[in-house]
Amino acid sequence: MGKSKKKLLQIVILLLIVIVGGYAIVTQVSGSGGKPTEGSKAPNFELLGLDGKAHSLEEYKGKAIVLNFWGTWCGPCVKEMPALQAQWEKWKDQGVVVVGINAGEDKMAVENFVKSVNVDFPVLLDPDKNSIASYGISPLPTTFFVSKDGKINKIHLGQLDLATLDKQIEELVKS
Amino acid sequence: MLQKVIAFKNTKCECGHQNPVGTVLCENCGRPLDEEELKSKEVLEMRYDGMARRSQRANPNFIDRIWNFFASVKIAVYMIVLTLLGSMLGTIFPQENTFLNIDPSTYYKETYGTWGLIYYKLGLTHTYESWWFILLLVMIGASLVICSLDRVLPLYRALSKQQILKHMQFLTRQRVVYQGKIEGDAEEWVKQAAVPMKKKGYRVHTDGNALLAEKYRFSRWGPYVIHIGLIIFLLAVLARGLPGLKMDQHIAFPEGEIKHIPNTSYYLKNEKFTVEFYTEEDMPGEFRNQGKVLPKLFNTEATLYHCTADCDDPTKEPKLEAVAKHNIQVNDPMDYKGLKAYQFDYDLTPILRSVSPSLVDAKTGKELGKFKLDIKNPQRNYTAGDYSLELKEKYNDFGLDENGRPVTKTPNPNAPAFLFLIKGPNLPASGMQYIYFPKQIDKERFQQDAINEKMNGGTPPLMLDVKGMENVDFAMSTTYLNIRVDKVMPFIWIGAAIVMVGLVLGFYWQHRRIWLRIDDGVLTLGAHTNKNWFGIRREISAILKKMNLDVDEKSLDNGGKQA
Repeated sequence: MGKSKKKLLQIVILLLIVIVGGYAIVTQVSGSGGKPTEGSKAPNFELLGLDGKAHSLEEYKGKAIVLNFWGTWCGPCVKEMPALQAQWEKWKDQGVVVVGINAGEDKMAVENFVKSVNVDFPVLLDPDKNSIASYGISPLPTTFFVSKDGKINKIHLGQLDLATLDKQIEELVKS
Repeated sequence: MLQKVIAFKNTKCECGHQNPVGTVLCENCGRPLDEEELKSKEVLEMRYDGMARRSQRANPNFIDRIWNFFASVKIAVYMIVLTLLGSMLGTIFPQENTFLNIDPSTYYKETYGTWGLIYYKLGLTHTYESWWFILLLVMIGASLVICSLDRVLPLYRALSKQQILKHMQFLTRQRVVYQGKIEGDAEEWVKQAAVPMKKKGYRVHTDGNALLAEKYRFSRWGPYVIHIGLIIFLLAVLARGLPGLKMDQHIAFPEGEIKHIPNTSYYLKNEKFTVEFYTEEDMPGEFRNQGKVLPKLFNTEATLYHCTADCDDPTKEPKLEAVAKHNIQVNDPMDYKGLKAYQFDYDLTPILRSVSPSLVDAKTGKELGKFKLDIKNPQRNYTAGDYSLELKEKYNDFGLDENGRPVTKTPNPNAPAFLFLIKGPNLPASGMQYIYFPKQIDKERFQQDAINEKMNGGTPPLMLDVKGMENVDFAMSTTYLNIRVDKVMPFIWIGAAIVMVGLVLGFYWQHRRIWLRIDDGVLTLGAHTNKNWFGIRREISAILKKMNLDVDEKSLDNGGKQA
């Protein structure tokens, strides 16, 4: 084996170690827990809407998304519904979409509830709590502000009031 | 030692062979190259046959320095010790992934106090997934690869082109040495000596008055085979982080319900769960009469379904095909194409699945009709006899909010309640409102009759009533299964098997070599092995006996460290 060949072998082996090692570290660290954080890409979902059609995150691409996880049994979720509806009406013509994802309840309960609070933004059902898991939701309500490029801009835990919601959406539209 | 060797620049041996920097013994004749070493009478250092390791360079550049770092056994030992210490840190408190449902940001502080909080903040609650732990594993892997290459290539070269005639010092400074007069023609003696050696399994090479006999060279590759196995093992461990290769989740399966296993195309149905308990007589003495309940057997009759179409379309029901059936018990999981379902836990709280209430005339008690009400997914409209029932509201866990309005308190069907609008003969045209609690306990707790009276301004003419237990359908229990996929496991076994092969190679055979030369009727014999010196001395003594030289085994010993 010549000298240059030896050197090449060294470089190839070191490079392979860097590539394999780097890949292992990156996948382990980013893959562990799997909870999306502010700045990371919003996980996609494919859920049935109250309109009877399937909806995914991708179909709202190019729009700023306010993704609200809620349940009819959760007091703060119920209380923030009017604020969400008001902001939906205010911003929907400016490339903002409000999407409510219900955590695991049946269609009838959600339908009745939506009717009683007069909400008309898209509401999706997640009976198997798949998106709840992929977004790593623990307390309800949790609201994700997703920017146009599909990145999570802000995660808000707990009830939102009209003013903070307005401020957040404004920031989101600008980003 | 290393510094000294590198500093020694004149690497040309007196036999004319040019050796690489770092060579201890001439590659060709085996003469010690260091001047001081040459004057010594000590037993020679035979590691790697005195060859320079690849990392020993005169002027290491940047890449060489990285290479040398990983080629050092000392560094490797440090890394292994660090990894062991790191692993120990991970065992102080339970790791996050050992819990099913906790919020680690509060759990550790609440359970273990300040130390728990510090432990969590340091990221030790997921030690084995942390970047530094993986980095250590990767570095050990790099060290394994580079250490092996650094040594195995020079060793391979040294062993594949061995000089038969060795320098006198090389022979006399082996650990097994014999020197003595022989009679007769030297070349003839060498030829004859080859015969008993061959009989002992040696491969014999002769060159005039010199001889080299060698056996079990393959055992030298044992450590490197072990390293290959370890590298496969390590790569497999690291590959567990890749998506789809490993899954480990705990899922509740209520009896009779087909449930999707997340992130797979499989569905599982708990057909029936049974649990048997030890009787008082079966229990060991210390457990008896203490009111203890010890389960003897858990058994989940499970059916596994594979989704064949419409799997990801939430608007359609997935098409399922049953692919496997198994009675899952502890230590007897269901196993289908690498997907394993282990019995993990159970819950014997019955869950109300459906009721079939009858519509009854409140005054006469006459049954007017019957319908089946599914608790989880009820329909909007039912008919019972001549009457139509429209389900207006549904509460999973009935309660009243601060304003006295009915709400559902949790998403779990703990206290289901249904508000119907009933229309039909002898009822007002706008219908009659009727709230119905399927569970008797809720009926009393929430005063169903009082609510209905209030809504209708008096006793309602009709009521819903369940006639007999045959009209109630319960899921008697819930089984918790641990669903696991581990596609990496076969590679771990392969790695472990290769390690075993390497261990056997290295432990059960020893590389033995005997050199001899005859100068003016004087026989000089030197021998080397990597272990079991007693064995090789005994073999040489036997060979010399065949050549009519009676030599005591022990007298062959030339000192030095005995391995």
